[in-house]
Order: sequence, then C-alpha cells, then structure tokens
Amino acid sequence: MSTYEIALCCGVAVPLAMFCVLAFFGARIGKPASGWLAVGAVGICLALAAYVTFGWLGMSGPARAELAHNAYSFEWVTLTVHGINIPILFKVKLDSLTVMMYFMVTLVSTCIFVFSVGYMAGHSDEVGGQSKYHRFFAYLCLFEFSMLGLVISSSIFFLFVFWELVGLCSYLLIGFYFDKKFASNAAMKAFITNRVGDFGFLAGLMLVLFFLHTLDLDQAAAAFRDQYTHHSGLFGTTVSLFGWQISGITLATFMGVCLFCGAMGKSAQFPLHVWLPDAMAGPTPVSALIHAATMVAAGVYLVARIFRLLTPDAQMFIAVIGCITLTITAFIAIVQTDIKKVLAYSTLSQLGYMIFGMGVGAWIAALFHLITHAFFKAMLFLGSGQVIEGCHHEQDMRKMGGLRHKMPVTCWTFFIGVLAISGFGIPGAGIGIGGYFSKDEILAVAYERAYNWTERFSGQAEHASAGGDELPVRLASDVPDSRTPEENPIDHEVHRDKEEVREEIVESAGHHSPEKDRLAAHVPPIKKWLFWLPIIIAYVTPFYMMRAWWLTFMGKPRDEHVHHHAHESALMYIPLVVLAIGTIVFSYAMFRPNIAEAGVQATDAALVVAVDGVEHTPEMLSITHEPVERSPHHALFWIVGFAWVLGMGFAVLIYRNGFALAERLRRIWPLSWIYVALEQKLFFDHIYDTVLVGGTKWVLAQISRIFDTYIIDGIPKLRGRITVELANFSGRIVDAGGVDGLIDGFADTTQAAGAIMRQPQTGRIRNYILFGTAGAGLVLIGIIIVAYASMK
Amino acid sequence: MFHIGLNHYLVVSTLLFVMGIFVMVTKRNAIGILIGVEMVLNGASLNLIAFNRYVAGGLPHMDGQVGSLFIIVLAAAEAALAVAICMNFYKNLNTVDVDRGDELAG
Repeated sequence: MSTYEIALCCGVAVPLAMFCVLAFFGARIGKPASGWLAVGAVGICLALAAYVTFGWLGMSGPARAELAHNAYSFEWVTLTVHGINIPILFKVKLDSLTVMMYFMVTLVSTCIFVFSVGYMAGHSDEVGGQSKYHRFFAYLCLFEFSMLGLVISSSIFFLFVFWELVGLCSYLLIGFYFDKKFASNAAMKAFITNRVGDFGFLAGLMLVLFFLHTLDLDQAAAAFRDQYTHHSGLFGTTVSLFGWQISGITLATFMGVCLFCGAMGKSAQFPLHVWLPDAMAGPTPVSALIHAATMVAAGVYLVARIFRLLTPDAQMFIAVIGCITLTITAFIAIVQTDIKKVLAYSTLSQLGYMIFGMGVGAWIAALFHLITHAFFKAMLFLGSGQVIEGCHHEQDMRKMGGLRHKMPVTCWTFFIGVLAISGFGIPGAGIGIGGYFSKDEILAVAYERAYNWTERFSGQAEHASAGGDELPVRLASDVPDSRTPEENPIDHEVHRDKEEVREEIVESAGHHSPEKDRLAAHVPPIKKWLFWLPIIIAYVTPFYMMRAWWLTFMGKPRDEHVHHHAHESALMYIPLVVLAIGTIVFSYAMFRPNIAEAGVQATDAALVVAVDGVEHTPEMLSITHEPVERSPHHALFWIVGFAWVLGMGFAVLIYRNGFALAERLRRIWPLSWIYVALEQKLFFDHIYDTVLVGGTKWVLAQISRIFDTYIIDGIPKLRGRITVELANFSGRIVDAGGVDGLIDGFADTTQAAGAIMRQPQTGRIRNYILFGTAGAGLVLIGIIIVAYASMK
Repeated sequence: MFHIGLNHYLVVSTLLFVMGIFVMVTKRNAIGILIGVEMVLNGASLNLIAFNRYVAGGLPHMDGQVGSLFIIVLAAAEAALAVAICMNFYKNLNTVDVDRGDELAG
C-alpha cells in the first residue's frame, strides 16, 4: 500500500471519525467549537489531498501506472453468479481523475466549512429548545466522508454505496430546518426523485454483475471490450421480452442508460431535474457544497467512470438529455427572482453542459468544466449566502439592489463568478476564466462532432470496412484501445488479437493513431441542433447571471430597510476570496498547457478517454495534432467568442433601472405567455404533481380502498358475523335454554314449593298455637307408643 | 283416707295446661291469650313442684321449687313484655284482635 493510498484513505476516515465525535458529543462540545472541529477535520483532508496531488503531479506517466497497478486491494466479500465467484474488492482508485476530484472536493469544502461557521453563527438552529448546530457540522462531515469515499472507489459497488450515502446527507441537510414544512418537503422530494434515478443505477449494476461478472471499473471495461470483440457474453445474448427480440448491443445500450439513470437523478438531469431548485431550502453553505459544487457533480463523475461501458447509442441518449436540461433550465433561470433559485437553475444548466459534454465525447472538457464550475459556483452560492445573511434572510432580488457599497468583497467575488460562468475571455489573446476554457471546449467538441466528423474520419472508415475488420456495431467503448499496449499494461492482453488489423491500418494512416481514428469513424456525428442549442444557451447564461448580479449589487436600493442593515463578515468573505483565486488558478494554471490544442484534444478525448492509471500527457494527446485553427476559440470565434459581451450587455440594458423595463417587456404578447410558462418552471412540477403524484395517489387510493373495504373491513365484518352467530347459539340455546332454564327451573320449583308451603302460614297466632300444640301432642303420642312398644 | 298423691297434682297441672292451650287457641283477644299463657306456665310450674315432692323426695331438695320460682319471675317479665306488645298492637291496629294482625302471613 503506497503512501498515497494511505493518505487518501486517511482523508476519508478523518471526517467519518469527526462525524462520530460530533454526533455523540457535539451537544456537549458546544456552539462555535464543534464547527471549528469540523473545519479542522476537513483541513486535515485538504492537507492530505494537497500532499497526494502535488506528489502525483510530479510523477511521470509510467510511475503513475505502476502505482495504480500495484494498488492494494482488500477482498470484502465474494458473490457467486452463474457459478462464477465474483469478489467485491475494496481498492483505492488511483488515477488523475480521482486525485483531481479529491483535491477539488477537499479545497472547496474547506472553504465552505469555514464559511459555514460564520453563516451558522447568525442562524437560529434550535428545534424544541435543542441546538442543531453540532448536527449541521456532523452531517457536513458525514457528507465529506461519503463524497471522498465515492471519489476513491474503484468498484461500482462501493461507488453505489457512497452514492447512496451522499444522497442521504443531501436529504438530511436539505431538511436541516425540518421544522419548516417546505424544507422537509424539499428533502423528501430530493430523496424520492433520486430514488427513481438510483433504481436505474441499481438495475445497471445488476446487469454489469450479471453479464460482465465483475464490479471493478477497470475489469468491467476490459470485460465489456472483450465480450464485444468475441461477440460473447453481453453481446452474444438475445433476450426475448414480450415477443420482442432484444439484441446484445441493445442490451448493452440499455445497461449504459440504466447506469446513466443514477447520474440523471444525482446530477438533476431532465426529467429528474425538479428536485434541485427545491433543494435550496437547505442552508446556503449546503447549497454551495452539495447542490452546486460536489454532490451534483458526482453524476458527471459517474458518467466519466462508466464511459467505457457506454455504446454510441447510450452516449447519444446522454447528449440529448444533457442538451434538453441545459436549454430549459437556462430559460427558467431568466425569470427567477429568488437569488438562490437563479443559481440553482444555472447549476442545472451547467450540469447539463457537463452531461452533454460527456455525451458528445468531450470527456476531458466536461471534467474540466466540472472543476471550474465547482469553484465558481461554490463561490457564487457562498456569495449569495453572504447576501442573504447580510440582508437578514432576504432572498428576493426585488428587495435588493445597490449592495455593492455595503458588501464590496462579496460584490466583486460574485462578479468574478459571473464572468467565469459567462465564459469571459478575449478570443485570440488567450485571456479568460472558467467557462471560457471549459464550456467552450465542450462546444468545440460538439462542433467537431456536428460538422467536421464525417469528412475527418471518412478515409479511415472506408479503410476499416475495406480492411475487412468486422465491426457490426459502433462502439465507443473501444476507445481505450487507442492507447498503445505499452501505455496500458492491464488491457494489453485482451487486444493482442487486434494487433494485425492495427498494423495494417498504421501503414496507411500516417501519424494518426490509426485505430483511434478508425473507431472514431464508427461514432456517428451528432445532429445539428445538439450543437446549436448549447450555443444559444451560451448567450442566455451571461444574460441571467449578469441580471442576478446587477439586480443584487448595482442600481439603487429598492428596499431601504434591507439595504440599511446589510453587512458582510470576514469569516464569510475570506472563503469567497480563496474560491475566486481558485477559479482563476484552476481555469488557467492547471489546464493552461492543454488549451492551445484544446479542440483537438477534447475531440480526441472521446477516444483517448480512459485516464485510468495513464495520464494524458500533452505528447500523447497531440498524436493527432491538427492545425491550430481547430482550437475552440478559432473554430467558434464568431459563434460564441463574444457571447459574454452580448449576454451581459443585454442584461445591463434591460435591468439597469431595476425591474421597470422588464415589467413592461413582459406584457408584450408573446413574451407574456413565455414569461408565465417560464415562471411556472415550464409546468414540470404541475405535471408531476398531477400525473405522477396524483396518479400514484389515485392508484394507491383505489388499492387502499379495495384493500380497506374488502380486507381490512372484511375481516372485522366476518369476525362480527361469526361472533353474532356464536352469540346467537350461546345466547338462545346455551344461555336461554341451558343456563337460564336451570336457574329458572330452580326458581320455579322453589316458588311452587313456597306456594305449597305458605298455605299453613295464615298469620293467625291462634292457628300457630293450635298447630304447635297439635304437633307436640302428636310427638307425645308417638313417644308413648314407642315406649309401650319397647316395653313389650 | 283419701290420700293425695302425685297423680292428683299431675291431673290438676294437666287441666291447667290444657285449659291454657284451649284459651290460647280460641281467644281472639290478645289479653286473653296472655292469660292462657299464664295458665300454661302455672301448670308447668305445678308439675315441677309435684315432681320435686314425690319423685325427688322432698326437702332438702328444692330444685323444683327454684325452677317454679324462675318460671314465676319469667312469667312476670313476660307479662310485662306481652302487655307492651299488646299496647303496640293496639296502637298500630286500633284493636287487640290477634286475628287482625296477620301481616306476616305468607
């Protein structure tokens, strides 16, 4: 077990230990102390993460692969499926993605933990006289543990376990103010919506276990490829369902879609996106940590991890879902007046971009966007938390405005966040932050897939078919083959049989990595609208973000009372500054070397995709080095390069004097209808309430009614009937006839006897004397007779 | 000479007793019944004395006499009691006709 693995494991264990401490002794530790203890715990995690990250960055590619290959694995339990033993291994997933995510999660959460101490200081946290303060930090620690565990899991099984744990933490923290009805409802909504997605995830996990006979991510990918190559296992199966013949490739697509369902729930993708805006009922640091930066990104992380199990059809499904999500949520964000709701919808939209990026194969770009988004969105949320806290729990932007003087640090860090999400940058100069690199990279890949794909790989595709290579189905999971065997020792064995084909193609394909291009040719181009919708939203994003910023901080104060009391505190704005710096550094320094050939690299990401153990070195990525014109900001120079100028400018134009102009605009006919539709969140909640909740309620009501009437009521009724019959029998026959008859008989006899006996009882004293004397006389006579008789 | 023995006493006491019973049975007046009771008692105490004289052997034995003395005392007490009952009887029913006092009839 290498020191890196130990460090990562310790980083997971420390928050868990702190959770136990706070859960059991938190009430005794007290109000500020338990918060600072949690900050300490996450600080340790950050230190460990920094140690691993900087060590990892300093290592060469082969050294990393070596380390990952020799990772210690602990066999937790062994399952038997089809007579095959499948061990479930606990192993630290050691690759660049894990290290990067780990570092991002710990850094962001450290900032948010510090912020939380400041935030919770001003919040009432008592329910029924008991303080919940320590509980908040206990949950945060539990979340930290779950999230880091999720990141280091190498088995889909443990991924799922931690996946559910972060879901639980999300539930607990959304419902932190559970004494408020809307908060507990939102928590339930989030949890139940996630269950829908997780059901799919679980089904996908079963399919993986059933067909691939492993739950390890790398082994599953290898098995997937192997079965595809030999047309066996999953791909050799034909399932008959209600008379439909489902082929292996469809089943594989289904498996991918099932696994993606989990991501759909957690990353709040259409049609399961409804829970995320409601999740803003939780405390703002929670919104920042869980519902903006880390947990919701776990869905994207999951797609990145299972990418090699996705068929092109499944990828297309993911791209379409992402595209729909990013479009509708961005439009809804325009009309929101609650500052946190705007951010929630923008989070949804950005998550849509990431998922869309994954779907179109912009693997690196999507993850890059995940990292930059985590920083700037956490910062934006913390900024909104600062505003809400400063304005005494006022979340309505209609009552804000002009706050720049009262909270300057928040104002300008928030502005950096707005620039980052808008994709601020100067095309050609290489200056920009956040979305300028990451989002535009996704768009560049989409552009490639939509317009340049066919001609780019047409030669290879023809060659592939002419070369007699049988690829009955298009499969992006073959992508890792692009790496040469030396780069991927684990998968080396599996693909030896393709060696001949590869060699054949290498000769004619020049410096291109031939097999990669050949495989890419089997990935279809995307539809044009899948490229143009995200482009349109790239203009909408700066608009609604600028609108939020301008309405909050600029212009004149619209509510004197709120404005008068506004203030900001150092404990809360220092994390903002740290995150602002993080946004700039992460969008620049860490990924700057890749930016120049970003378009090409990102395009190839679909093909170079798996980073397991092998780092993308620039050299390796630039195998198919294209002319520099292909970089995103060359290809998309006029399409999206100045989106931020237009979007932000338009927002300032409309909202420079508050809501007045917007109010007038929304009365114009087509806009008024659109406004109502958007304000009602496109009626998703209504539809779900009516159709799903109402339908479920109706069906359940019918079932319960039948159950109630015939079973619940039926049993007592039957019992009642039996009792009545029994009572009749025992009453009429046993009681009335037997028991009463006996008693009555006694009574009647007694009465009859009495009637006879009372005849002499005349009440006349003379009679009594007569009877007594007569009796005595008779006795005397008797005695005399006896005496005489005995004398004889 | 006509010697008076035990049998004479016994005859007298029997007559007394029987007459007392007869009076008690026939009389409807409560006082009459009381008188009958007295006669029965006297008959009985005469018997006791006669048996003490002729059967136990006379003096110094005095059991019979003591017994009859007790009867006399008891009879006196009983007469007082009976008269009181008569008074109440009269008070309740405005008569001393015992046949009217048949409330205890079953």
